Amino acid sequence: MQSTKTSEPIRLKDALLRSRCGAGAVGIGFTPQTVRSAYVHVPFCRHRCGYCDFALVAGRGDLVEAYLEGVAAELAELPWSFELDTLYVGGGTPTFLSPGQLRRLFALLTDRLALRRGAEVTIEANPADLLDARKRAALADLPVTRISLGVQSLDPAVLKTLERDHRPAEIHEVFAALRAARSDWQLACDLIFAVPGQTIASWQNTLQGVIALQPDHVSAYGLTFEKGTAFWSRRRRGVLTELPEDEQLRMYDVAIDRLTAAGFEHYEISNLARPGCRSRHNLAYWTFQPYLAFGPGAAWFVGGVRGTNHRSVFTWLKRVHAGVSPVAEFEILDAEQQARDRLWLGLRLREGVELETFRQETGFCVDELLGARLREHVQQGRLTVCDGRLMLTREGLHVADSVFADCVG
Amino acid sequence: MKTEQIRNFCIVAHIDHGKSTLADQFLLKTGAISEREFREQLLDDLDIERDRGITIKAQTVALRYALDGVEYELNLIDTPGHVDFHYEVSRSLAACEGALLLVDAFQGVQAQTVANAYAAVEADLTIIPVLNKIDLPVTRIDEVLEEIETVLGLDPSEALLVSAKTGQGVDALLQAIVKRVPPPQGRPDAPLRALVFDSKYDAYRGVITYVRVKEGTLQKGQRIRFMKSGTEHEVLELGQFRPGMVACDRLTAGQVGYVLTGIKELGQVHVGDTLTDAARPARVALPGYKKPQQMVFCGMFPTNSTDFEKLRDALQKLSLNDSSFTFQPETSDALGFGFRCGFLGMLHMEIVQQRLEREAGIDLVQTAPNVTYEILTRTGEVLRIDNPQQVPDAGQIAEFREPIARVTFIVPAGNIGTVMQLCEDRRGVYRSTEYLGPERAQIVYELPLAEIVYDLHDKLKSATRGYGTMDYEVIGFRPADLVKMDILVKGRRVDALSTIVHRSVAERRGRALVKRLKKEIARHQFEIALQAAIGSRVIARETISALRKNVTAKCYGGDITRKRKLWAKQREGKKRMKQFGEVEIPQKAFLAVLEAGQDD
Ligand SMILES: Nc1nc2c(ncn2[C@@H]2O[C@H](COP(=O)(O)OP(=O)(O)OP(=O)(O)O)[C@@H](O)[C@H]2O)c(=O)[nH]1
Ligand code: SF4
Ligand SMILES: [Mg+2]
Repeated sequence: MQSTKTSEPIRLKDALLRSRCGAGAVGIGFTPQTVRSAYVHVPFCRHRCGYCDFALVAGRGDLVEAYLEGVAAELAELPWSFELDTLYVGGGTPTFLSPGQLRRLFALLTDRLALRRGAEVTIEANPADLLDARKRAALADLPVTRISLGVQSLDPAVLKTLERDHRPAEIHEVFAALRAARSDWQLACDLIFAVPGQTIASWQNTLQGVIALQPDHVSAYGLTFEKGTAFWSRRRRGVLTELPEDEQLRMYDVAIDRLTAAGFEHYEISNLARPGCRSRHNLAYWTFQPYLAFGPGAAWFVGGVRGTNHRSVFTWLKRVHAGVSPVAEFEILDAEQQARDRLWLGLRLREGVELETFRQETGFCVDELLGARLREHVQQGRLTVCDGRLMLTREGLHVADSVFADCVG
Repeated sequence: MKTEQIRNFCIVAHIDHGKSTLADQFLLKTGAISEREFREQLLDDLDIERDRGITIKAQTVALRYALDGVEYELNLIDTPGHVDFHYEVSRSLAACEGALLLVDAFQGVQAQTVANAYAAVEADLTIIPVLNKIDLPVTRIDEVLEEIETVLGLDPSEALLVSAKTGQGVDALLQAIVKRVPPPQGRPDAPLRALVFDSKYDAYRGVITYVRVKEGTLQKGQRIRFMKSGTEHEVLELGQFRPGMVACDRLTAGQVGYVLTGIKELGQVHVGDTLTDAARPARVALPGYKKPQQMVFCGMFPTNSTDFEKLRDALQKLSLNDSSFTFQPETSDALGFGFRCGFLGMLHMEIVQQRLEREAGIDLVQTAPNVTYEILTRTGEVLRIDNPQQVPDAGQIAEFREPIARVTFIVPAGNIGTVMQLCEDRRGVYRSTEYLGPERAQIVYELPLAEIVYDLHDKLKSATRGYGTMDYEVIGFRPADLVKMDILVKGRRVDALSTIVHRSVAERRGRALVKRLKKEIARHQFEIALQAAIGSRVIARETISALRKNVTAKCYGGDITRKRKLWAKQREGKKRMKQFGEVEIPQKAFLAVLEAGQDD
């Protein structure tokens, strides 16, 4: 795999995009027209939560203006304007920005990135920020179609452990207010389970409460301890204890059972949606579609090249302002690596991978890529083939990473 | 050069007492090198030596030194202090008439000081005791002088005080060498007899043979014969180390130098052999050396089975430089094809392994080291066992014997109890205690070699806060109640994890070992039973529960690369794993055997 650290002062992304999407790249099958998704990373939060290792700075509102200029600089590098089906503004906390700043961000974006008819435009929001009517009003004026709320839990004790700044009651308030502001918004909830101290009962209550809110989409993520976070060192010091594995699994299973019983479709490992409300942007990741990305730590995938911007907000700022490429590293995937990525990403979806299509479009057989491991996983009930599709079983979901690691080869 | 003007001596001491630094001073003071060319421990030229700051291989250098208007040739040999390389010292002694016995003025007489002093006395050399490091802020000069008298039986009034670091006292030492070390004996016109005391492989010049001419004269173009191996060669070049190789026309009786004969393989030159003139041979060869004895053995297997040939080549190449380790092909059910290698000690093993990995770029799985055992079978046969796999069924064994070493400790008087306890725990047999002064004592124990080589030195250091030292010498084999302990992973015996242990500790070790293995072997998608067994009797067991959950649900922001890298890193960790049936066993597990010995 060709993986390169960049430091040379060239407009690297620009060059890559040109070489990969330009006229000469027809063979690769990418043209500017095929790139229909973009991600924008807003690296600001009021405070860094103990479990979070995202690229962000906490409490540095003073940097927002410089950041917006940086995004403008990154956008200016684009050799073409693109037309998007999905745009995702994530973070960090995009709603950390003031109404004016939010408007400017969207103005910058839509200036270079045209939104197609019916495009899905998601913004991540911190529930507490949306208690502010001015922010809600600002969102209502923007082309936003979907709001993803960092609800995490409806248990005050769990929220406290997670260091989140909202109270459960406020979630109800925010939901009602958002519905009142615009009835056509899709509302999504992010939830976290397996938080130290959390009980199954607490988790069930949260699920029950969330179902009652009638969101369109729910993501349920198991808490992970990431190196470099406060949680990581607290666990090492014994201040925080990870929940036993069995309990974590039960919470996962409970979430899926409860939510599907309430009418949600479990369409990806940790994502569930009401019919017709799947996250189209995330589906682009899982179905191996290309996407652009802007901002610190943002990852893009265009023309078989995966790249990641510098994760340090300061380095990213310095670079874009100096006209230097913000790309920290990129890798050019060959045909086999592309097929492998496509396989494991596809397996994240419950519907799995259509084998014949996979073979035709990638030129590789799954047997070839997985070798003896395929039979092993099938025999031991982690993978199954059904109607010509390879997919994870319910059992297999529990150890999905082991299966994916084998796909990667 | 007239023999009266030649002095041959070596520097011997306990490890780190400053031999190589003193050699530096000699080089500087005699003008063999200039200040500009100088670098510390100049004679330590192997990478590994410079990395570790210790001498592994003895080095020879010829110095010119003028005293009272007479020019002398001083041939100096710097020797290693570490016990693994003691055989290098014994070889060097046979090429000299004198020895500088260096003693650190603070640390005093240590275990290898004693061992080396005895070796020098046995070789009939003139010994000059030298206290080094007198520049240190704290020294114990008076006590150390007393130790020299009481422990080594040397006259303290003959001792010289120097600092190899500052050069203080080094001139006086050079004079003492000329005055006290006797010149060599032999006649230049007698039939040639030159002792081969070392050899070295050089990629460009082939084998460099180190000789000490005892009698006669060695000349360029001369036809020579190795008396033991019987081979004949022509002298293509000869010369001295000053310290680089400097060619000359002849080496006469008493001189030390090198000979090039075009031999390409180190194996063709036997250290300890005698060189003589092919046309006018000497009648009797010089007494040779005992071959160095390999003390520890371990299996070395390429992680990637396709690297087997590569490993063979690398071992062969390495043995060109170091003839003191052995290797033989070995097969293991668990690890496939590899080699059983023998080493002089643990440090030696570590060094060879490091060089293989560094110089040949081969990832190795190494099994836990063991010593050589002897088994007397019921049919009266004596088997040499250097691999636990060679142990026959218990029914065939009449007697199981293990190597025993005599271990000399020198420790602060306050630590005597702890050290004795250490030995008692290891089936030691007490021999004697002797006080070297009010503060320090020498304790002698007989201990099974297996209880010494792995970690006794470390244990001693921690028991004595670094002040204790030890030296050992194998004295023979003794019967003991030994058994082979097997390890079963998921019901199958993993041959490479078998060990030979004393029955009295088998259960404890078995329990500790499976516990360690449990830590080292990652969880799989199924349960793994770990058992320790003697014959068919299971003595300890542990279970590694099945991996139930392995999913990090979130795959944020489309950062696929990061995710994939995580797996790649995990895979990297698996590189040193061996697939055994369905179970992956990491390299560390094979060494767990070692650590499981004591730490419970
Ligand atoms: N202060 C002081 N330090 C010294 C003196 N002589 C040697 N040393 C230091 O002692 C350490 C060991 O010195 P070496 O010359 O490598 O010792 P060695 O006896 O050759 O060691 P081995 O070959 O490994 O047995 C080094 O750090 C030297 O700098 C001295 O006279 N004074
Ligand atoms: S709000 Fe979200 S992005 Fe910000 S620190 Fe907390 S977890 Fe991280
Ligand atoms: Mg040395």
